[in-house]
Amino acid sequence: MTSPVDQATVGERVVLAFHDVRKTFPDGTKALDGVSFAVPRGQFCVLLGPSGSGKSTLLRCVNGLVAPDAGTIEVIGRRSSPRTLPEIRRRVAMVHQHFNLVERAPVGINVLTGAIAQVPAWRALLHWFPEPLRNKAVALVLRVGLEPQHLHRRVGELSGGQQQRVGIARAFLCDPDLLLADEPVASLDPTTAQDILSLLREAARERSATVLCSLHQPELAVRFADRILGLRAGRIVFDGPPERLDDAALARIYGHGFPTDRLELAA
Amino acid sequence: MIRAIRPRFRDTAARLDPPYDWRTALAVLVVGFCLILSGQRVELDRFTALTGEAILAQLGLAEESQVGRGLGRMIQSLFPIAVEERRELARLSEIDRENLPWLARIERVETTRYELDRQTLQLVPIVETKEYLVEPFGYLLRVLGKMLETLEIALWATILSVLLSAPLAILAAANYTPHRSVYLAARGLVSFLRAIPELVSALFLVLAFGFGPIAGILALGLHAAGFLGKFYAEDIEAADKKPQEALLALGASKLRVLRSAVLPQVAPSYVAYTLYILDRNVRMATVVGLVGAGGIGQELKGRYDLFEYDHVGTILVVIFVTVFLLDQLSARLRARLL
Repeated sequence: MTSPVDQATVGERVVLAFHDVRKTFPDGTKALDGVSFAVPRGQFCVLLGPSGSGKSTLLRCVNGLVAPDAGTIEVIGRRSSPRTLPEIRRRVAMVHQHFNLVERAPVGINVLTGAIAQVPAWRALLHWFPEPLRNKAVALVLRVGLEPQHLHRRVGELSGGQQQRVGIARAFLCDPDLLLADEPVASLDPTTAQDILSLLREAARERSATVLCSLHQPELAVRFADRILGLRAGRIVFDGPPERLDDAALARIYGHGFPTDRLELAA
Repeated sequence: MIRAIRPRFRDTAARLDPPYDWRTALAVLVVGFCLILSGQRVELDRFTALTGEAILAQLGLAEESQVGRGLGRMIQSLFPIAVEERRELARLSEIDRENLPWLARIERVETTRYELDRQTLQLVPIVETKEYLVEPFGYLLRVLGKMLETLEIALWATILSVLLSAPLAILAAANYTPHRSVYLAARGLVSFLRAIPELVSALFLVLAFGFGPIAGILALGLHAAGFLGKFYAEDIEAADKKPQEALLALGASKLRVLRSAVLPQVAPSYVAYTLYILDRNVRMATVVGLVGAGGIGQELKGRYDLFEYDHVGTILVVIFVTVFLLDQLSARLRARLL
């Protein structure tokens, strides 16, 4: 079996590559224990694993919110380092589990802050965003399924699903090459979760953006992923298309005794 | 059954203790003892005796009390308050008799003075006519002018404190300071500014800048900057981290994160603190005026020292009304901004 890194390099251009990345937290938790993989352009890649398997740490290593102890990470052709991090961050967007929006600010401003690092300083400090950007923000708010009157509503007044739509609009504002989604639907009810993941997948496909999305529900992963990376205790224990995610694979990811009937229900 | 359970839980951490024990009782005793000692030092016994006496006197159950007498005499001399301004015309240069100020009039007052005639050795009455320029609302207007000056001092002191404390707060917020040493220096400066009472710094600033509003503005502004710097900084530290992380992940610099993710969160409490400081500055501006730092306090001190208690009464009424109106205004402003 060839390593996933080689497979990806053979195919399309690689957007993201991990080479033997390790991270141990000060309390001794091994969050990442030698992780290597590569994601080609346009793929919707799902990180699947139980809580504490290192999914968040892996995602946060990509945009430097966590600094790995060892190994190298290549993002959009740049090797991640403190020097290249500002550029990487401007081309990699992130959607968060708790939405991480400014709740007191209106929807429009929250979406526009997606460009906060890309406009001149005076515009950023005065929130005086250029008109094309404002128009784009409006178009995105409508694209993610919100109404025009939501633009001026405070984010805190919206429902969880609507807030995550705002989060997605913010992430897509600057046409990122890579979108990281850290448990984007973990705080949402099952129906809303499906809607949000469909939106994420379609919006990414329209812009040919690559997505690396962490989930803990296998049924959602099977339904939306092009490819699934199974993570357990900081190691990749499964790598393949959703069709290959069988009981044995689930047992490797979640340990034995995983109720596989949930999968059949979802299918 | 209870017996069986007890030994098992005694040594483990898994148990619930009652909220108080002998240590609490001891602490209450020690604190109570200290308060009694301290109460004697600050003459609380005399305070109780005098106040009780005053209350009894009010109810008619006791003879006149010392406190009641003092306060009563003082309050009586404040009223009626002085509204008009009366100045001797002979001492005023440049007064055009044909063209007096608005509402002003000239009053003649005849005074009879007795003088000893050296020849007859008798007292001879001499009638003198003095002319006064009387402005019916002159003194009230003068006090209102001084009150306006006081409000201006408070306003500029507040502007100064906001301008000083905003950058200080960023440097003194542990999560946004550029360096640990800068943080310590900023925290130190903020504490230092807060540690000097306005009245004390006004005393020295009057020496440096002379009598007038400059000393007042600086004294109030510096103290308030210490207050605001501390509270602004603590709010920055306590702001929700999640939106800040989101903007950081997008590549935003610290300043941009502050502007877009922190400022919207802290804005309501900043407005509240700043309005409180404005309110406090108006009250304190009258106090620092007592040591010559401009405004209505300076006028108050002057009249008090000349025993012109009716004028003092006017000043006190104007201060009271102004503070009351300002309180209403700031309450409305808060309700609209928050």
